[in-house]
Amino acid sequence: MTSKDLLREARRRAGLSQGELALSAGMSQSAVARLESGKANPTLATLERLVGAAGFELRLELVPKFSYDQLIDAYKRDVDRTLLRENLRKSVDDRLRSLAEHQAFGEELQRAVRARRKPKS
Amino acid sequence: MSRRPTGIELLLGVLSDAKVTFILIGGVAARAHGSARITDDIDICYARNIENLDRLVRTLAPLKPYLRGAPPGLPFEWSVPTLKAGLNFTLTTTAGAIDLLGEITGGGRYEDLAPHSIEVMVFGRETLLLDLPWLIHVKRAAGRPKDLEVIAELEALLEEREKFEE
Repeated sequence: MTSKDLLREARRRAGLSQGELALSAGMSQSAVARLESGKANPTLATLERLVGAAGFELRLELVPKFSYDQLIDAYKRDVDRTLLRENLRKSVDDRLRSLAEHQAFGEELQRAVRARRKPKS
Repeated sequence: MSRRPTGIELLLGVLSDAKVTFILIGGVAARAHGSARITDDIDICYARNIENLDRLVRTLAPLKPYLRGAPPGLPFEWSVPTLKAGLNFTLTTTAGAIDLLGEITGGGRYEDLAPHSIEVMVFGRETLLLDLPWLIHVKRAAGRPKDLEVIAELEALLEEREKFEE
C-alpha cells in the first residue's frame, strides 16, 4: 500500500472530508489533496500526523523477507500427502489414465457451463 | 472391442510408435511420477537433429497442429523448416494440447536432460521420463513464482516415494 492509499483509506474510514482532515491536522486542504493524489510524498512524521488526525495510530514494523525456500516449505505444509500416497500405489498407466479422466471431466463441465450461458431463444 | 486411445494416450502413442526422440517433462511427467495435479497439456523436450524433426512433423501432421492461442487463419506451416527456424512451440492438435520444447530453462536441451531421465513403460511403450529430482531441479532453476506450489508438491512426493520404497 502506498502512502496516498493509506491516507485516503484512513480519511474514508474516519468519514472526514479532505478539509476536515486538514483542519484537524493543522494543514491546508490543498496539501492533503496533493498527498492523496500522489503529487507530493509525505514524510513519515506528516503521515503519522494525518493518520493520527483521522483517529488512527501508524505502526511500522520490520518483518523478515520470505526466501524462495521458505515459501516452498510453507506451501509444502499444505500438500495433501494422502493423494500422493494413493498415486504411488498405482501404475504409471493408471496415474496417466486418471489424469485423462480428470481432463475429460473438466471438458464436460466446461461444455455444461457454456451451454448454460447460452441465452434462451 | 478394443478401446480407441484419446488425448495423452494417443499423442504419446503416436510419438513413440514413430520413434520420435523425446523426453516427457512438465505436468504429465509429474503425474506419471505420482503428482495429484491436473494439467491440460503435454510437454516434451525433443531432440533437434534433422531426422527427428522430420519424424515429428510427419507424425503430428495428421493431428493438424496449430499454434495455440493464435487467431484462426494466421498462416502457420507445420514443416521441418518451421521447426528448424524456431525452438519451443505451444501447439493445439486434434488430440489435445502439446508443447514441443527444444530447450528448457535450467535444464537445457534434449542431450542435457537425457542423463537425468528414466525409461518407463507408458501405455505399453518404452518412454523417457525426466526423473523426479531433475523435474524439481528445472522447476527451481526456472524461478517462476507460479511454480512454487508445484515444487512443494514434487518435493513432498519425493519424500513420500522414499518412504514408500523403504
